[in-house]
Amino acid sequence: MRIVIDRKEKSWLLNGRLKCLWLAFAIAVKVFLVILSDPALGEAALPQISLNPDYTFPTKDTPSGVEVNSASLVENASAWNGRTIAFKGEAIGEAMMRRKMAWIHLNDDAYMWKNIEEGAQLGGYNSGHAIWVSADLAMKIRYFGDFKHEGDVVKVVGTFNAACRQHGGDMDIHASTLDIVRVGHPVHDVFKTTRAIIALFLLAAAFALHRVHTIIRRRHAF
Amino acid sequence: MIVRPRWADFKVIGLYTGKVIVGVGLLMVIPLATSLLFREWNPAIDFLLGIGACLAFGLGLEILCQTSRDMAWGHGLVVASFSWFMATILGAIPHYLSGHFNSYLDAMFDVMSGYTTTGLYLLQDLDHVSHGFNMWRHVLTFAGGQGIIVIALTFLFQGTAGAYKIYVGEGKDERLLPNVIQTTRAIWLVSLAYLMVGSSFLWIAGMSLGQGPVRGFLHAVWIFMSSWSTGGFAPQSYNSIYYHSLLYEVITVPIFVIGSFNFALHWAVWTGEKREIYRNIETISFFTTVAIAMLLAMAGLMKLNVYPDIIALFRKMFYQVVSAHTTTGLGTIYSRTFVRQWGTLAMLGIILAMAIGASACSTGGGFKGIRMGIIFKGLIQDVRRLISPESARIVEKWHHISTRLLDDATVRMAMLIVLSYAGIYALGTVAGVYYGYDLVEAMFDAVSAGSNSGLSCGVVSPTMPTLMKVVYLFEMWAGRLEFMSLFALAGYLVALFRGR
Repeated sequence: MRIVIDRKEKSWLLNGRLKCLWLAFAIAVKVFLVILSDPALGEAALPQISLNPDYTFPTKDTPSGVEVNSASLVENASAWNGRTIAFKGEAIGEAMMRRKMAWIHLNDDAYMWKNIEEGAQLGGYNSGHAIWVSADLAMKIRYFGDFKHEGDVVKVVGTFNAACRQHGGDMDIHASTLDIVRVGHPVHDVFKTTRAIIALFLLAAAFALHRVHTIIRRRHAF
Repeated sequence: MIVRPRWADFKVIGLYTGKVIVGVGLLMVIPLATSLLFREWNPAIDFLLGIGACLAFGLGLEILCQTSRDMAWGHGLVVASFSWFMATILGAIPHYLSGHFNSYLDAMFDVMSGYTTTGLYLLQDLDHVSHGFNMWRHVLTFAGGQGIIVIALTFLFQGTAGAYKIYVGEGKDERLLPNVIQTTRAIWLVSLAYLMVGSSFLWIAGMSLGQGPVRGFLHAVWIFMSSWSTGGFAPQSYNSIYYHSLLYEVITVPIFVIGSFNFALHWAVWTGEKREIYRNIETISFFTTVAIAMLLAMAGLMKLNVYPDIIALFRKMFYQVVSAHTTTGLGTIYSRTFVRQWGTLAMLGIILAMAIGASACSTGGGFKGIRMGIIFKGLIQDVRRLISPESARIVEKWHHISTRLLDDATVRMAMLIVLSYAGIYALGTVAGVYYGYDLVEAMFDAVSAGSNSGLSCGVVSPTMPTLMKVVYLFEMWAGRLEFMSLFALAGYLVALFRGR
């Protein structure tokens, strides 16, 4: 009986659903091609998302190599695309070497000079940019920022790409120069004694409660 | 007549909530061990404090609420919603003590986001947090993906009486095996097996991309946990951009697609029913709606000429759409890129994908593929009824593990849940618009929170209004538990004051 049902379903699948799926797929592709061939697409080169005036954007007088922050680059990416800019930030994470080149990440946020473990005030999310740079230049960086380190503050000059052709559409900066502005350092987190005492007190309380709980459960078992 | 809950009812709820909170405390042992391993002493103290608080509260509740009374359906649903809420309050202790949050509410927001596998966060200076804390964020999302009730059922419950009732309350109703405890263990077996395989691939990939063995290993485990549980957290603020790697993307996409599938489907495939993959209504629904969302996003991106070539366009579009549809929330573009480059049409494609979301009884959120499939089939059935003679009996079938006849009650239930989701999406959108955000941007983040996706276009931030944080927190909670247990909790509160 089960085999009969399966065969029916299989033939229904092949004759009915599969045909419908093919038809739907063909229609979708056709619609998509129509969209692609729409004359309105000729306007695509025009900027259809306007500039964000709250952030820096380049004008015809903006010099090459001007220093720009990460928020402005993201907010007005199309306007900055292809321009030579300078970018400064704390190196974080690690340098990821790719043969003779490397990826590094520079954060130009509120924690660039001092992080929270060192007493910096909370100042929002991290923000920064990915930099594609030669491995030789990347190796100049001594400290990368993490929990135990404040990273080197680094200044790079290079070309900004809103959607890099070489890197699968990533937003990046292809840097040609890299300078260390400030060498980073290890961060010493001061041991919080009061907090440790409270933790021990709570654990002792939990242990006592566990003993009581065990006794009660034994009594219930009988 | 509404019956006021008695002390005996609260004892049942308290007893099981206590067990779940003890489970949360025991989970903190993993980040504690990580902190000790990397000699991060202050984070280790924060976790010890969190463990102490959870165990003291949980055990205290268990002692106070000792009862041998059986659990009713109402109790099970209330335990699920209440224990998630309490687990969020207590789980936020290490978050708040880390010093990376403006307020305890912000810390709770991140914990709820972790449990619900949303991936939105208010944590500040993520790039300088400890390994232990990063481990806690990802363990939260991994545990939340399987369900914290599932964890408690797996490790802390000895009997099975009543277990199924709180299991259902957590938004899961599939029984892979006859016994619900065995079912939860099967869910863990599947997840841990994938964890080992997936993390190994990512570790090798990470090292080939230039990461050291230790950081590569940690990132691999965290990104796996985040991908598998469709969470969206990442160890660096750059999220998946950080890796700049097609290989990493190729590995993570299947992980979050598989993670978004129904556990019952996984179990069927594991036990030899491979045909289930293409027969199941959820997989058919998933691939259909992914294709529609991709077409929308692609049309929007091509119209604005965002990417230099079709390969770059497809790579970016595919990753964001699949991440959105599986409600993962990992991204290879900056949040604001959605607004500043992708434009409204592509954003609508992403919103559609997030709203529909993953499969039922999975780690993901959203309407769920099974409900989309059922509603679509219900629509077809109604159209067929309209054009058929009155005497004709129109039968529509749907397949999920077994083939079933579609009835009106099933369609109505699916519609009810979908409408509830639409309601919380609308609530978040209205809150955003009220505070002055653009409609599409407000809708994007509201749908992301309600569907537990985690992609953001920049609305969610530590500086957003407190009421919006509360609304989003509620959206994440309601969306993950699929409303029923929240309705039950609300009913209990009403009965407390108005019952007799």
